[in-house]
Amino acid sequence: MKSYRTNVMLCGGTGCVSNGAFKIKDALERELKKHNLENEVGVIMTGCNGFCAQGPVAVVKPDEIFYQLLKEEDAAHIVEEHFLKGRPVKELLYTPPAEKSPVPKMSDIGFFSKQRLIALRNRGMIDPEQIDEYIGRDGYKALAKVLTSMKSEEVIQEVSDSGLRGRGGAGFPTGRKWESRRKDPRTPKYIVCNADEGDPGAFMDRSIVEADPHSVIEGMIIGAYVVGASKGYVYIRMEYPLAVKRMRLAIEQAREYGLLGEDIFGTGFDFDIDIFQGAGAFVCGETTALVSSIEGRIPEPRQRPPRTTLWGKPVVINNVETWANVPAIINRGAKWFSSIGTETSKGTKVFSLAGDINNAGLVEVPMGITLREIVFDIGGGIPKGMEFKAVQTGGPSGGVIPASQLDLPVDYEQLNAAGSMMGSGGMIIMSRKSCMVDVARYFLEFLNDESCGKCTPCREGSGEMLRILERICQGEGRPEDLDTLEELGEAIREASLCGLGQSLPNPVLSSLEHFRDEYEAHINDKKCPAGVCKALITFTIDKEKCKGCRLCAKNCPQEAISGEAKEPHTIDQDKCIKCGVCLDACKFDAVLVA
Amino acid sequence: MGKIRPEDLEKIRERMARTINMREGDARARVTVHMGTCGIAAGARKIMSTLMDLVEERGIDDVVVTTSGCAGLCSREPMLTVELKGEAPVKYVDMDEDKTKSIFSEHIISGKVVKEYALAIGSERVG
Amino acid sequence: MSSNTGEKVGAVLVVGAGVGGMQASLDLAEAGYKVYLVDKGPSIGGVMAQLDKTFPTNDCAMCTLAPRMVDCGGHLNIEKLTYSEIESIEGEAGNFNVKIRKKARSVDPDKCTGCGECSEHCLVKNIVYLEPPAVPKIELEADDLSKVDEIIGRYSGGRESLLPILQSINTEFNWLPEGMLRRVAEIKQIPIEHILRLATFYKSFSLEPRGKHIVTVCTGTACHVKGAPRILERFERDLGIQTGQTTSDMQFTLEAVRCIGCCGLSPVITIGEDLYGKLSPAEAAKILERYRD
Ligand SMILES: Cc1cc2nc3c(=O)[nH]c(=O)nc-3n(C[C@H](O)[C@H](O)[C@H](O)COP(=O)(O)O)c2cc1C
Ligand code: FES
Repeated sequence: MKSYRTNVMLCGGTGCVSNGAFKIKDALERELKKHNLENEVGVIMTGCNGFCAQGPVAVVKPDEIFYQLLKEEDAAHIVEEHFLKGRPVKELLYTPPAEKSPVPKMSDIGFFSKQRLIALRNRGMIDPEQIDEYIGRDGYKALAKVLTSMKSEEVIQEVSDSGLRGRGGAGFPTGRKWESRRKDPRTPKYIVCNADEGDPGAFMDRSIVEADPHSVIEGMIIGAYVVGASKGYVYIRMEYPLAVKRMRLAIEQAREYGLLGEDIFGTGFDFDIDIFQGAGAFVCGETTALVSSIEGRIPEPRQRPPRTTLWGKPVVINNVETWANVPAIINRGAKWFSSIGTETSKGTKVFSLAGDINNAGLVEVPMGITLREIVFDIGGGIPKGMEFKAVQTGGPSGGVIPASQLDLPVDYEQLNAAGSMMGSGGMIIMSRKSCMVDVARYFLEFLNDESCGKCTPCREGSGEMLRILERICQGEGRPEDLDTLEELGEAIREASLCGLGQSLPNPVLSSLEHFRDEYEAHINDKKCPAGVCKALITFTIDKEKCKGCRLCAKNCPQEAISGEAKEPHTIDQDKCIKCGVCLDACKFDAVLVA
Repeated sequence: MGKIRPEDLEKIRERMARTINMREGDARARVTVHMGTCGIAAGARKIMSTLMDLVEERGIDDVVVTTSGCAGLCSREPMLTVELKGEAPVKYVDMDEDKTKSIFSEHIISGKVVKEYALAIGSERVG
Repeated sequence: MSSNTGEKVGAVLVVGAGVGGMQASLDLAEAGYKVYLVDKGPSIGGVMAQLDKTFPTNDCAMCTLAPRMVDCGGHLNIEKLTYSEIESIEGEAGNFNVKIRKKARSVDPDKCTGCGECSEHCLVKNIVYLEPPAVPKIELEADDLSKVDEIIGRYSGGRESLLPILQSINTEFNWLPEGMLRRVAEIKQIPIEHILRLATFYKSFSLEPRGKHIVTVCTGTACHVKGAPRILERFERDLGIQTGQTTSDMQFTLEAVRCIGCCGLSPVITIGEDLYGKLSPAEAAKILERYRD
């Protein structure tokens, strides 16, 4: 980052933004340039200061001068008086209350302060069931701009320049995708929003649709105008009933306002959207399977090229988050968007943090942020101060990233290089309580189940890998199994038809790379270090800690625990089914798993 | 309202800006219950109905109770945002009925932040 | 019969002249056996010709198939019985008596060169006559029939309307009764086989009746690492059924689902429309008890 003599920390909290903070930023920058001060004074947007009532507010550092209730017109005055002549503008000054507020500010809370909201710009701020609230926060402004004053080529140029890449996983440049469909002479054309979100453990798309459905709709209409499409579908998983409901309502409201349907904004452009509900098949998230599903055919992926089509016609398929980014890019410009992020990955990415983490939830962060920041600063670390073991990114197609790579900046290329991938943005945090072999087995079980069965490498390969992993978890692993897994993985990756198969070995290969010792412990020592794989663990009671409260014995479904009240108990290993009930029941940590 | 034109957007925006920011109008406070799937699963509906009951019981007409989507911190749901006119919004986490009641009488009615339940004051950074 | 065992006959019958059948016939014929190659279609070759490429090698399908068809067609040891069906098989390994019905094709295969002229000039061209399969009568209560007709009526269009129709039936009845699927097939004029494939492809459909309360345990990644498998096991024990089954009193159906998008509250279960999160197996079991009548 460039260093400046003086920094204007302009509040970018939602309150200030809705009162025109961005306009003030532009005006300040304009004025600074006019006075050739742009290299001396920097204008930086910050998190909320907590003085929303006086917003927009700005703090000038290092002098700590606090301005309030700023207006666009004030910019010239401030620059001239304060930055040129060094005299703070008295009328705009504000003295924050001296006593410290007992409640921390949002900008002091790690979970919020490192986030930067673009796709989630309206989260928690608007009522998603009221289109007016969306419009109240600059909604459909980008659409109006596009329809009334921009040519398709210009929009595509803007999107391309912004560096926006698909947020559904593969990271294909969105502008390039649109351009190729725009040039396709066949009509009618279609727009699809992929809200299938099959990654188990991810919920970004659900949240966006539930919190701000209109941002997705607006993005889709812009996309439709650009490529010349007349019909759109939102493909939503059936597991998301609330998202379906809100999306349906949003579409109806948009129709009522004439934002969908014929002659949108009186410009003669027609476009409408329908909802298509999935029925529980992970592979339907893959584009060729998705279109087959809409067409009512068996949703098996097909060979590409030729390019994916819907009813033989061109179709643009983008992820929910991709669409939600589009209006923001049009409103604020490609330059702004591309100023965020890394060399190859621009903007922000929404991740869903889950698993063994204190602050589970949805976070939107600039690309290039490190995993450490996400896990510890935002996520607040692992519960009970346990040690971090690994993070699984990219869902079943991704891989595990161990603690040693926590400083990896998050972008498409870096994650690929680390043997994982961006995926749709699920992040599962694992502590020492998670067994890496079990997790790999879990993903293989999932993928084996979800493999559509069309191509042999994926169908048979996943089955074979699963059998080996199950064997290892059962304590019947053989030393040569690990090499076989690696070999199989390579073959499957090379030979599979669609993305599901091609990325299927990732969870196994990456955990083999980073946690080979755990596999070896299962195979050679017949031990599960994390205490997860049932066949390899035993439950015992620590005689020292047991107070003889009988709680475990009462709860044991097998009546495997015996002992007198107030005397240490014992577990009959022949009867124990390792259900773990005693472990949960014990208040004294006396049940040991080894 | 029927079909709108680009110029109508500005009108709606202005109208909404006034109500959203509570710069004008009768609303003295706005309470937002975050109702995404997680929020609802964690019990946001109950919080909502508790609030509605309280508003009705006391015959209050200057408090707006509204809903919104997920606020992001799913593990601390249900969440509630209370915003009094002229003050920064305050986010409350891990809500239940009793906490809602005390926040209602202390913060919404008497204007004192209930710091035991509050997570933070202010709003998030956008863009 | 027993006196016959041991006297092996030097001929082999291969049923089905697809690429596998042809290769088997060729290998056997090369090894000196007389081969009867039976296929119910009018020619050998099977369905591989319809494919573009084959997996996992991405080889061109025709390039694999054509040489075998030519070899099979010309092999002296292979007698091709196309447009034929097996009526009965008797005997045992080593000595079978097979009765084959050759359907009338009204072409002398010895003279036919396969030039295609006859087909070209045929007035009812290219329609191979196959016995229409018997359509089982649709068994439905009058109420159900009118309900299903109403659902089908909601969605116009052909195959693309199938998924919404199946979803509506599944939501309405909790499962997909066979009679209803047949009714859909009948009205939409879509083969029942296709409908069944769809119904079995997607996880959310059930072809068996389900209980009053559908209990789903999320086994998504987040829930998995937070202990969902133990909740599932607990439910299996408490309900006395396996995942995917329904209790005999039709009260509960236990299912596993891969993520319902509430990973922040993991582990999560749903019972009917109600969702519960951050559960231990014991807490989950208590909640389940509340739903028992
Ligand atoms: C097996 C498989 C599952 C996928 N699931 C999803 C999904 O659930 N949601 C999604 O947006 N993209 C999914 N994708 C990626 C899509 O194929 C496609 O790349 C994406 O929707 C394109 O949109 P984008 O360019 O905006 O990312 C999946 C891909 C594969 C191979
Ligand atoms: S993994 Fe269970 S809700 Fe997502």
